[in-house]
Amino acid sequence: MRAQRVRAVARRQVYVLKRAPQRWFDVIVWPVVDAILFGAIGVYFGRQHGVAATSAAFLLAGIVLFHVVFQAEIGLATGFLEETWSRNLLNLMVTPLTELEYGAGVALFGMARLAIGLTVVSVVAFALFAFNVTTLGVALLPLVAILLVVGWSVALIVIGLILRVGQGAEILTWGFIAFLLPLSGIFYPVSALPGAIQPISQALPTTHAFAAAHALVEGHALPWGQVALAAVGAVVLAVLSVWFLTRMLATFRRRGFISRHV
Amino acid sequence: MSERVVDVDPASDSTASAGRDRGAATGPSRVGEFFAGERHLIWDTGVMSVPAAALSARALVKQFKRVRAVDGVDLTVGAGERVALLGPNGAGKTTTLMMLLGVITPDSGVVELVGRRLPAQRSAAMEQVGFAAGYLPLPERLRVREFLELFADLYGLADRRGAVAGGLARFRIEELGDAMGNELSSGQRTLVGIVKATLHNPPLLILDEPTASLDPDVAHRVRSGLEELCAEDGTALLVTSHNMQEVERLCSRVVFLAAGRVVADGSPDEVVAKFGSSDLEGVFLHLAEGGTEPITDARPVS
Repeated sequence: MRAQRVRAVARRQVYVLKRAPQRWFDVIVWPVVDAILFGAIGVYFGRQHGVAATSAAFLLAGIVLFHVVFQAEIGLATGFLEETWSRNLLNLMVTPLTELEYGAGVALFGMARLAIGLTVVSVVAFALFAFNVTTLGVALLPLVAILLVVGWSVALIVIGLILRVGQGAEILTWGFIAFLLPLSGIFYPVSALPGAIQPISQALPTTHAFAAAHALVEGHALPWGQVALAAVGAVVLAVLSVWFLTRMLATFRRRGFISRHV
Repeated sequence: MSERVVDVDPASDSTASAGRDRGAATGPSRVGEFFAGERHLIWDTGVMSVPAAALSARALVKQFKRVRAVDGVDLTVGAGERVALLGPNGAGKTTTLMMLLGVITPDSGVVELVGRRLPAQRSAAMEQVGFAAGYLPLPERLRVREFLELFADLYGLADRRGAVAGGLARFRIEELGDAMGNELSSGQRTLVGIVKATLHNPPLLILDEPTASLDPDVAHRVRSGLEELCAEDGTALLVTSHNMQEVERLCSRVVFLAAGRVVADGSPDEVVAKFGSSDLEGVFLHLAEGGTEPITDARPVS
């Protein structure tokens, strides 16, 4: 892997973000909207039961951590989509750039994007609802790492589907995340979901990561059992997503799907 | 690092190559002739050699559902040789190019670019190859200079700014450096695309219809720039085009494809003579109408 090529891919993404104002919606606007929305809901329902602060913290911790998955996934998937939208895929495929270098470059840029998005949502949560995510301590770090891996894995699956079926699959960039949101027990315990859906929810690594985060918000120690389940699930998902993307890329090359992108 | 030229066994399969032999500027027109007595350039490290062929493809086959797009194509481009890949629409030219570049996987066959076998050595091979196509746009949100500098980095150039400045100057389009990609005319985009493809002075340049839809003036500039590049650097050229005059000016050898097969391979004069036509355009029209045998009608075809 050549660092120069990885940096070039990341720099390309910086140019796009700089010159495409609509991209700032994902990085700035949605984090602000989500923080206000879920903070206000938490305060409102909390007041009904005299626990406004706890309720708001529960939801805000959820939305801050959800933005780890969201920003990681959107950053990687839209980074690739940009190449299809600008019909630049063939240009890249005829250079020495390897798939790994491309992924690393977009992920590198995605980390910067993630940092901006997380900062925005955290600052808004603190400024408007006095919720300081850092009070949850360093125990958050393994959860952030797990959610980052999940976000990237989902993005790899989306990219694989775009390679296989074309740009029609780009809606899944946002669609998969929309499914994860209700199924992962981010704003409520899994027991609140309909019984038929709960097994699906339990199979998701995000569910266990958010359950661990909720324990922290409630003042408990980090439940390592939940963290371990989440970590194993994230690793399995990562392996599956890499396998899937590799297969889809092979199909893309075998069936000449580059013709869809020139 | 000093250089020495040695004779090598023409049958040997050199896959560990890098760098280029700028001295071998004129390539013969046949694989056998080319390898016979061909010399390899070997650096003193003993591990780097430049193969005789800039490009070698053997028995390429590609089937898309019921259509056999490419049917057993053999193609070799010698170092410094300029070859045109011709044929009517649907003949399999672009599919062949995409397989040569590793973008499409052949059903069977072997591709070696500058001694590197695809797909295993694709990345190393592409350090030695440039590609541009008349139909490729430039990304909208990049200035020309930014776009070119990104590709200079992808090609691993140490002095990306110098390479970009030199490339823009070679095709006399320095004034476009600060323009946004979506502000350029199609001719300007083509020129920038060729600058991109030649930033790293590749030993092999592959162009897909580089002058399609260009006005005569810009097409002339493209051809002049390419001639200059090939003459100065000994760059091998594989180009597809529907402009037969352009082909005769640029290329010393033409390979005609029809229905995915090579139906003629030789100098323009040889191919014209083989088909009994008055010029390359006559051969082209004959093939486009489905003929693959020599023209028997005495009327001039062009």
